[in-house]
Amino acid sequence: MIKITDLEKFYRTEEVETIALNKLSIHVNTGEFVAIMGPSGCGKSTLLNILGMLDDPDGGSYVFNGVEVAHFNERKRADLRKHNIGFVFQSFNLIDELTVFENVELPLIYTGVPSSERVKRVEEVLDKMQIMHRRNHYPQQLSGGQQQRVAIARAVVNKPKLILADEPTGNLDSSNGNDVMELLTDLNEQGTTIIMVTHSEHDARYSHRIIRLLDGQTVMENIMI
Amino acid sequence: MIRNYFKTAFRNLWRNKGFSLINIVGLSVGLACCMLIFLYTMDEVSYDRFNVNASNIYHLAVDDKSPDGQVHKFSSTGDMPGPNFKRQLPEILDFVRIQGGSYTIKRGNEVFDQDALHVDSNFFSVFTFPMVYGKPQHALDDLHSIVLSEEVAEKYFGKENPVGKTLELKVDDKFQPFTVTAVTRKSPQNSSIKIKMLLPKKVNHIDNQWLNFFQNTFFVIKPGTNIKQLDAKINKVFLTDAASEIKGNADKYGDKNKRTFSLQPLLEMHTSTDYPADNGLSDQSNPMYSYILSGIALFILAIACINFVNLTVARSLKRAKEIGIRKVIGGQRKQLIMQFLGESFILSFIAFVLSIVLVQLALPVFNTLANKALAFSYLLSFKLVAGYIGIFLLTGLLAGFYPALVLSGFNPVQTLYNRTQYVGKNYLSKGLVILQFTLATFLIISTITIYSQFSYLMNFDLGYNDKNVVSITAWGIDKTKLPLFKSELLKDPSILRVTADQGGRWGTMAHINGNQQQMFDMKHVDEDYLPLFKVPIVKGRNFSKAMVSDSAKSILVNEEFVKQAGWKNPIGQVVDFFYNKQKYTVVGIVKNYHFLSLTEKTPAILYTMKPDYPFGNIFVKISDKNKSESLNHIQKEFKALFPFIPYQYKFKDAEVAEQYDKEAKWKQIVTFGAVLTIFISCIGLFGLATLSAERRRKEIGIRKVLGASVEGIVRKLSTDFAKLVAIAAIIAVPAAWWAMHKWLENYPYRIDINAWIFVLAGAVVLFIALVTVSYQAIRAAIANPVNSLRTE
Repeated sequence: MIKITDLEKFYRTEEVETIALNKLSIHVNTGEFVAIMGPSGCGKSTLLNILGMLDDPDGGSYVFNGVEVAHFNERKRADLRKHNIGFVFQSFNLIDELTVFENVELPLIYTGVPSSERVKRVEEVLDKMQIMHRRNHYPQQLSGGQQQRVAIARAVVNKPKLILADEPTGNLDSSNGNDVMELLTDLNEQGTTIIMVTHSEHDARYSHRIIRLLDGQTVMENIMI
Repeated sequence: MIRNYFKTAFRNLWRNKGFSLINIVGLSVGLACCMLIFLYTMDEVSYDRFNVNASNIYHLAVDDKSPDGQVHKFSSTGDMPGPNFKRQLPEILDFVRIQGGSYTIKRGNEVFDQDALHVDSNFFSVFTFPMVYGKPQHALDDLHSIVLSEEVAEKYFGKENPVGKTLELKVDDKFQPFTVTAVTRKSPQNSSIKIKMLLPKKVNHIDNQWLNFFQNTFFVIKPGTNIKQLDAKINKVFLTDAASEIKGNADKYGDKNKRTFSLQPLLEMHTSTDYPADNGLSDQSNPMYSYILSGIALFILAIACINFVNLTVARSLKRAKEIGIRKVIGGQRKQLIMQFLGESFILSFIAFVLSIVLVQLALPVFNTLANKALAFSYLLSFKLVAGYIGIFLLTGLLAGFYPALVLSGFNPVQTLYNRTQYVGKNYLSKGLVILQFTLATFLIISTITIYSQFSYLMNFDLGYNDKNVVSITAWGIDKTKLPLFKSELLKDPSILRVTADQGGRWGTMAHINGNQQQMFDMKHVDEDYLPLFKVPIVKGRNFSKAMVSDSAKSILVNEEFVKQAGWKNPIGQVVDFFYNKQKYTVVGIVKNYHFLSLTEKTPAILYTMKPDYPFGNIFVKISDKNKSESLNHIQKEFKALFPFIPYQYKFKDAEVAEQYDKEAKWKQIVTFGAVLTIFISCIGLFGLATLSAERRRKEIGIRKVLGASVEGIVRKLSTDFAKLVAIAAIIAVPAAWWAMHKWLENYPYRIDINAWIFVLAGAVVLFIALVTVSYQAIRAAIANPVNSLRTE
């Protein structure tokens, strides 16, 4: 599903150039659950942003589902993204002005799903995340664990082929964290490819494979048994 | 999708109530001002348009050019052009002449003054004034017929139909019956011709001179006529038909002036400042009024839009996360732009609805200020509604476009990882604040200047004493009874002196120093006039009853006359009224005094006591005590001696103050403008200061932890804004100086623009701005740093 080759990304300020990704090559198959680990500043989040087509690489190739997307313009990227990729963030990133229902509905609106269909799908996914009873609440009225469920509901409502999760349990206690990991595992078992950045060895154990990064390069790959 | 935008927008507005309020208040005031000005301008350009024939009606005007190149513009012409032009030029389909006038009407034992218009009998076939009673076709055929407007008819006859009834009008010193033949509806307020009472033109004598200008002439021109060419033809007819009169005037009076006629479209008459609307036409307006009012309204709206732009951009950090999320889950930039524009439109729409309420509330005040009778129902005209919707859309777009562009451009990676900074130097935002305060300072300087000039005019030493002088309208009195009236009044010890003058302003021309032409104002007075007003004689003597020759041969002139005449020894000089072969000798020089509004320079004046001139005003000086008894006494004596002249009086000093009504209105308008501008600028600044304090919470916390004092922090936060306001003042000063200099040029007597005006304006603006900003600065500075540092 994902094949990146010699991927490069630099951050430049007036005086310093930092290499975030240094000719990185990774391959992820459809249906895999991959964890990316490494110390702060190793390029994990940069990689995730490029994979999610939120950011441009400075060099190398990125083939998504057989299509070279490294140099797509913003519109094409947004289009590809909304149909194929769901995001889960450490800080949930829900829109404060929208209710639970409306937050989850938003991706469907952007993909142009008709209203009645939207209600059906949002209810379905809220049910699955066991957050249906909170559908009319605002994010501030929910606990961290509940917020992350909403975020996951939003990520999967469009039935994406790929979920990118950036430390999804980072802001949660261990019990809520485990729930979230279970949810992700379920999704993976139903066929969704998941790439997750994490600091937690515990969480990483839920994945099939761990890619360890250091200074923008792969230093080790562990296959989980 | 749209529903989602609405939802987010509304919830955003609600959550940030303070900022929404600032924006809504500002925008609604700005929009309301613009609506009022739209209404005003619509009314201005709608003048006379209700006439079915409007686009084919033209008004005849004259340019009178003297040999030295000076051009006098007259809107009045004589009796000759109408019929003669029509007879000889097929392009002219019809003509109608209108002359203003005033009649004394007797109804039972009461007498009234009534404004009237003398018109040709075809008046109603040219102009469109619907009838309440009677038929327009032959309404003015009979010499003793009159047409009344409905409000005048009601005054004399109540609610009943007055057609066929009579009113007694004083004509040639006798009351004569006139029969009401028709009643028109009240004239539209946007009509240059206001009907009160119409009389056939024939009631006045018909004059056979071309060069006597005393009435308005209108023509109906064949559609499609080239007006320039017709102007040329008209002047050709004039030069042929009036040839002998022109030559006669040149030979007899040395009149070498050239007159050129021109046709002025009826629809341009109201806003033309070239030709004065007089002799029965009214309501002419200077388009300058519209420009200045529009300018102020746009200032206010612009300042409100700037608030929106600045506050939205400054608040964008808070929205950054939302933008990032929307982009991540598939929102395109175009969609986000639409969303933010949608928000500005919702806000503008709320402001728009509110502004309609404001307009409704402000209309009475506005009508007084702008001298209009606009009604809220006018708003329902299609053009106005279209205009308002246009201005609403424009406001939404102006206010929302830039923020939408900036906000939608945020990079989601930056925003979601809290890397977005309020970066850059914010030149735009600072520039806009400077612009706001430049406008505010400009208006404050204007306000102070206008106030100073106004108080200068009101407190100007006019050179005469107008305190406790009762001025009575005395048109048409039998002047032989004046001495009796005087002696009766003077029996009352609280009545100090009585005099009279001709009323109104007369001007004429005579020869001095041999054949030199001299123009001057002429005043017909008696020996008590100058003493009553305490006007000093600087040389020679006043008129005296004891000197019999005074009434026939003597005149007084003022200092300006002497100056213009170039006389070294004025006493004994001769003024030759060559056209009636009378010569007068100067016996005294009157000190210049300002009997006109100070908007005009004191002209050369000649005073005469010649008995064959009429009186139009009687002046009675009363003592400070027993004023009301004196007034009663005057009225009683007046009624006894002049029973058929309506008694109307005013105090002279009030009459003088009325001359400055226009200035008083300007003063109010500009003050309103200045107050609104500074208010809206300040609420915007308040919002910015709030955001700035919020943004710098952590910085302030760290500074405090490191030992900064509260004063130090307040100073730090306030100086940034104070600098912007100071720059604004520096920009506003030369602009305001220039504009006020131009404005003051209209006044021959004016204040000097002093530096203190600028210093005061600058200080006022700076003070208000600092008070606004320092509230937030102090709040931020006294906050506990622990809170700000912990939450970060």
